[in-house]
Amino acid sequence: MDALLEFEGLRCHFGSVVALDGLTFTVPSGQVVGFLGPNGAGKTTTMRSVFGLTDLDAGSVRWGGKPIDQAARRRFGYMPEERGLYPGMLVGEQLEYLGQLHGMNRTDARAAARTWLDRLGIADKVGVKVETLSHGNQQRVQLVAALIHGAELLVLDEPLAGLDPPGIDAISGVLSEQASAGCCVLFSSHQLDQVEELCESVTIIDHGRLVAAGTVDDLADSGPRRLVVRVEGDRDASWARHLPGVTASEVVGGEARLVLDAGIDSDAILRAAMAAGRVSEFTFERRRLSEVFREAVA
Amino acid sequence: MRAWIVLVLVAVVVALRLWTRRRGRERTASWSWPAVGDVGLVAGREVRERLRAKVFRFGTLVVLAVVAAAIIIPKVESGQHHPQQVGVVGPLDTSLRQSVEASAKSIGTTAHLVTEPDLQAAKERLGQGKLALVVNDGRELLVNTPVEPTTTSTTAEFVRAVSRDLAVAEALQAAQLSPAQASALAHTSPVPVHSLQPGRNHGAAQGTSVVGLILVFIMLTQYNGWILVGVMEEKSSRVIEVLLAAVRPIRLLTGKVLGIGFVAFAQAAIIVAFALILAKVVGSDLLSGTAPLVLVCTLIWLLLGYAFYCWVFAAAGSLAERQEQVQTLALPLSLPIIFGYIIALTAASSGNASTFFEVLAYLPPTAPFAMPVLVALSDVTWVGFLASAALSIVATIGMARLAGAVYRRAILHTGNRLRLRQLFARSAG
Repeated sequence: MDALLEFEGLRCHFGSVVALDGLTFTVPSGQVVGFLGPNGAGKTTTMRSVFGLTDLDAGSVRWGGKPIDQAARRRFGYMPEERGLYPGMLVGEQLEYLGQLHGMNRTDARAAARTWLDRLGIADKVGVKVETLSHGNQQRVQLVAALIHGAELLVLDEPLAGLDPPGIDAISGVLSEQASAGCCVLFSSHQLDQVEELCESVTIIDHGRLVAAGTVDDLADSGPRRLVVRVEGDRDASWARHLPGVTASEVVGGEARLVLDAGIDSDAILRAAMAAGRVSEFTFERRRLSEVFREAVA
Repeated sequence: MRAWIVLVLVAVVVALRLWTRRRGRERTASWSWPAVGDVGLVAGREVRERLRAKVFRFGTLVVLAVVAAAIIIPKVESGQHHPQQVGVVGPLDTSLRQSVEASAKSIGTTAHLVTEPDLQAAKERLGQGKLALVVNDGRELLVNTPVEPTTTSTTAEFVRAVSRDLAVAEALQAAQLSPAQASALAHTSPVPVHSLQPGRNHGAAQGTSVVGLILVFIMLTQYNGWILVGVMEEKSSRVIEVLLAAVRPIRLLTGKVLGIGFVAFAQAAIIVAFALILAKVVGSDLLSGTAPLVLVCTLIWLLLGYAFYCWVFAAAGSLAERQEQVQTLALPLSLPIIFGYIIALTAASSGNASTFFEVLAYLPPTAPFAMPVLVALSDVTWVGFLASAALSIVATIGMARLAGAVYRRAILHTGNRLRLRQLFARSAG
């Protein structure tokens, strides 16, 4: 059975601020799971709890059904939100050191560091100090630090923040590859388009509580049906304004996005559109992840 | 005495045995590292990074240069003969001239008598520093600056000797003794004084304790500063989060203080070895008598002092987020070190240890400075020495536990400034 990361009933507060309020969800292995939520929702606090870096008031975090101990943590990879590397240390030595702290011997750590640096296109940076690298390259080194020991679980807090498109592609490729190899990957991001592209499933939290979870497909297909209708010559879709059980969520250049209440017959919508003019577009639409997110945290 | 030493050794062995047993139980509970493990890795990184730093290499060279100067300059000074220039105004017969020369010889120097044309010219040369003193008509002595009874310079001793001996020589002349009688009286030796207790010649030991104090002060200040800044930098750069994902806080902290401590003692060992060899080569008396013992005690207290203070500074470093906060924290933490250093330096220089000073030698924050001085002054027994060391070890264990709890809470804290109440709440976890 594949290992599973479980968060159960996490509660945590900082002074009067409730950071986590009974948060419960699971992350399966072999998937890239997007961890979403507005700023201050509790994402970082949750991710830190995997490594014992959060003083929880209540709740537990389990890996493979067991509470996480230090030995298990050494098999995990972590990329914190605020990047953490020794600025004055050489890239190669730093990765070797971190690999050894995760239980590798020196030779293996050195070889793995070179392999990963090469894979992410920065093999030539092995002998330079971290502080001399660009933001994007520091980000790549930080990812290597999480990957170097062949982690079973990757917890990555905003790994794509501030990266250029090639950087995003490189890191996305690595994460997909890791998940395909059976690794459990949980990563947070505010770049919802990338998350939609990369993740099989997402977990959305707000105010320390779970508000939505599931595969990207299920979430996109869930909720009320949505239609995109264009009637030529009617740029503000006035024909749809007074249809019962229909809400125009967006009208752009004559293209109306309609949200249908339960039980509303789409044929009746089509007839109303045809009565208003020539219908040039009539398609059912899945919700985009950004819409799922906005509705979930509204 | 021997019983005490045996008792302490037995206690250390039992403590080590209990500790290894406990560690053994912990190891069987979960997957473990090899013997050195993560602590060794952290310590190794500290050693590599510190030894690589130019400031360390340069600093070591500077300290070696200072030590060399401290050993060589006094030796060169003592080997040089600067005759005391004595201006003579008016007549001074041969016996009185011989008396002046004998006075110089009695304090280990020589006198060169120069006849001055008149008093005015003599005063001018005296004011210019060309003369140590002027004998005016064989009846009075003139000096440029007053000679206080407590002044210990060679010139002051010479002036006091001439003043006393010249008066005696004139009195002998006035008594109209024969030259043989006068000579016999002039060359009398003091009656020897014999003590039931062995003598206490502290000269070399005191000098060594002063050098040792300077070494301990520099080491404690420098290396604890490294710990303070190092912990703060790990926190502010957030690398701590990556490290703590793999290593327990207390083991990370232990590796850090061990690594820096190793560098400190390697440097101290180099300096002491250099001092010993150089002193032997130049024949310095800095290491004569009980001085080697004082040096060993100084090294022991450097170890104990570092062990005590490293935890204090590590805990403080975990409370700081920025360089400015480090400065604010460093000063109050350094006050006991500065206080202990100054008061010990004063005691070592004067050769007297007050009761208050003896009490300080048993307090862990000041003992690293006060105890070696008491050893140099032979004012402490071995029992007292071991008792103070035991107190320091117990205090260090307590400090390490407290620092570990503070470090764990502070290092993971984000957001608003951590309050004392938060710091110690649930610190046991």
